[in-house]
Amino acid sequence: MTFDLQRVLESKRALRRNLAGRPVAEKLAMLDALRDRARAIRGAATRQETAVLRESPPEYRVNTRKD
Amino acid sequence: MSIAQVISAINGMEADGVVGRYAIGGAVGATFYLEPVATLDVDIFVAFREEPGQILISLRPIFDYFVARGGVIEGEYIILAGWPVQFLPPTTPLVEEALREAVTADVDGVPARVFTAEHLAAIALQTGRAKDKARLLQFVEAGALEVERFQAILKRHGLVDRWGEFELTFLKNEP
Repeated sequence: MTFDLQRVLESKRALRRNLAGRPVAEKLAMLDALRDRARAIRGAATRQETAVLRESPPEYRVNTRKD
Repeated sequence: MSIAQVISAINGMEADGVVGRYAIGGAVGATFYLEPVATLDVDIFVAFREEPGQILISLRPIFDYFVARGGVIEGEYIILAGWPVQFLPPTTPLVEEALREAVTADVDGVPARVFTAEHLAAIALQTGRAKDKARLLQFVEAGALEVERFQAILKRHGLVDRWGEFELTFLKNEP
């Protein structure tokens, strides 16, 4: 592992070049996997949101009765 | 559930004469030339067959075709092989040209028609959202564009000034 930013950036560029050069069928299969992952994360986030205990706001009643 | 299945289904639709010609655009189209970038849908540009007396373009024949084969409509999308697919008519001369000049790629023995890299880059420049600019940068950094061909497209479609601004903002390191 290195903290040399130039080396990190060069390594990222090399990875991207490598990915771009893969056969199209393989890259499309990666899109399928990326989408499945994105959907799973999105689904988990939605479930988490619904599991949050929320305090329900008080019901503000308007007394319309005239005494 | 895969994009390869979507491509096969669309080839079938074209062969059955539902649309005139199709080509893949957007992030999926870009993936033919660049590294894959996550996307949630598939953009398919289609040339519609003109019916006599018809003024408005209708997606109805496409939707009917796929619903009869198990597709599910969700808003402006139709779900094919688990992917939301959006069918788009060419709305600018640039996209019309991109559709005309689209090339056929081989996906494990299945033909897939896709916009050229230069047209995808020019469309990204024309559309101009943040994600389009990011994609255009990817094309440039990857050296995926044939420069003369790209410049000719920019000239034909009045995008030279916009390219100049893009170059100045993103590609020039010196002030």
